[in-house]
Amino acid sequence: MTGFYHETAFYDSDDDFLTIAVPFVEGGLRAGQPTLIACAEKNTTLLREALADDSAVTYLPGADQYARPADAIASYRDIFGGLAKDGATQIRTVGDVPHPGFGVPWDWWGRYENAVNQAYAEFPLWGLCPNDTRITPAEVLADVARTHEYVATTAGDHLPNPGFGTGLPLSVPVPDVLEQGTPLVVLVDPTPAAVREAVSASIRGTRLSEDDAHDAVYAASEIVTNGLSHGVAPVRFRLWADDSRVVVAVTDQGPGPADPMAGLMPTTATRSAGLGLWILHRTCDYVSMGRDEDGFTVRVSVGGSGHT
Amino acid sequence: MRTSGVTDVVVGLNPNDHLCWPFDDFAEFRARAAEFLADGLQLGQRACYVARGDDLATHLEAEPVLAEAVRDGRVDVVSLESRYRTSTTVTPEEQVEAYAEATRAAVRDGFTGLRVAADATALVLSPGSLDAFCRYEHLIDRYMTTEPFSAMCAYHRAELSEPAIARLSSLHPVNNARCAPFRLHATEDGIALHGEVDGVSRELLSLALRNTAPNQGALRVDATGLRFIDHHGLLALHGYARANAATLVLRSQRSSLARLVSLLELDDVECVR
Repeated sequence: MTGFYHETAFYDSDDDFLTIAVPFVEGGLRAGQPTLIACAEKNTTLLREALADDSAVTYLPGADQYARPADAIASYRDIFGGLAKDGATQIRTVGDVPHPGFGVPWDWWGRYENAVNQAYAEFPLWGLCPNDTRITPAEVLADVARTHEYVATTAGDHLPNPGFGTGLPLSVPVPDVLEQGTPLVVLVDPTPAAVREAVSASIRGTRLSEDDAHDAVYAASEIVTNGLSHGVAPVRFRLWADDSRVVVAVTDQGPGPADPMAGLMPTTATRSAGLGLWILHRTCDYVSMGRDEDGFTVRVSVGGSGHT
Repeated sequence: MRTSGVTDVVVGLNPNDHLCWPFDDFAEFRARAAEFLADGLQLGQRACYVARGDDLATHLEAEPVLAEAVRDGRVDVVSLESRYRTSTTVTPEEQVEAYAEATRAAVRDGFTGLRVAADATALVLSPGSLDAFCRYEHLIDRYMTTEPFSAMCAYHRAELSEPAIARLSSLHPVNNARCAPFRLHATEDGIALHGEVDGVSRELLSLALRNTAPNQGALRVDATGLRFIDHHGLLALHGYARANAATLVLRSQRSSLARLVSLLELDDVECVR
């Protein structure tokens, strides 16, 4: 098999998870295919206990592999590229893509599930993304249905997914909880230099590390630069912060980038606006991008322990 | 150690400082030039006043110290045309050599060095002469890193465009107003960047870089005073080094620059603290 076979599955019990995932893993091992497991802790433990011999499995801790979508794509492309170069004709992965059921916001993972159809297309990859319907929110399930070409069943079938590629927009990004408060800074059509100064001043009193502070300044500067050069005025910049976390949202009246890969993969020098978005997807703790009635908004969160 | 920064006073500078001074009226230029030169006399430097117009010596009469120094020969008063041997476009290398010879002569005559205050506006009025003068500004800046020569380069705003003022300002370690978002100046082994480089200043950085040359296969950039640089700016530095077959060596106390280098997988860039 060549190309990326992007498959989902739905289960509502641990037994059903194993019924789907164990044959998938064992099939790969039997055929001598590189087989990777990048699940959250619970499913990793279930699989370790259920597999008779997992010595040939590569375990990637899910929390590391799925820290950020742009990190996951960069890391997976490295891994898949290396395996293909070494002669692998089929690679299998099973992974838990994070969502609010794991305590992680969804938006950028929804964009990830969409983007990987292109980002992994060049590899001989069979990727299984099973979803626990006990903890997966409805809007996530809807995005999963739109982004996976195939669906695996507990009966052992691998079927075309009728919901795939129906062209509906991905779910609307959800505002950050900090946005319930009054923004500390509001600027309309500011220069990037003014934004950097405002962000630096606002986070001076917080416990953000030096690197986090730089990432927030960089992200704010970059989003405003993009809004001013590619968006439609007015470009509205807002900032919220508590003592350990900063949230920045920039809204313009344009449609946002048309490319579903925007921010998730580095683009070539001729499309270097995409490179800036990609950098903040690699450095910030959360980035959402999407349209709602206010316009097109990019929001980032930096610092803190959680981000919802 | 040379001064680097933005200032509104021209006194207290070192014997090899290089100052850009855009001005609005000639009285202001003459007053600041007089202060700058009087300060140089205090340091034992020979002073040189370069300007346009007639009766240049009268420009300095208001300052008694200078009036006396003009009389006893510690201050030369020279027309722009004779000092730069052109009324339009400098030949950068020749002009640096001319100042080097004048500095050596000053030292031979018992001075500690040479200090010049010049209204150079007439030498940057066309695109070609501006390009040549920008090259000269960086070359003379490099000369100043090791020799006892200091200069105040003054430019009459009304005769120049804002972008021209920004280009000239960006090539001086010291300037008098925020005319340029960053300053690029010579160090003993490369260049230093101060201030901020973003999308707005991308083009200005490329123009400034054109005047620089790598040293022994390395473009050494002291970024200690660089508050912000975006990936375009970093890629411009990297591209310029590569185009000149040199390794980009970045000096910064902050980890953010090294993180950006690593994220962009610029494996041939050396980051040092």
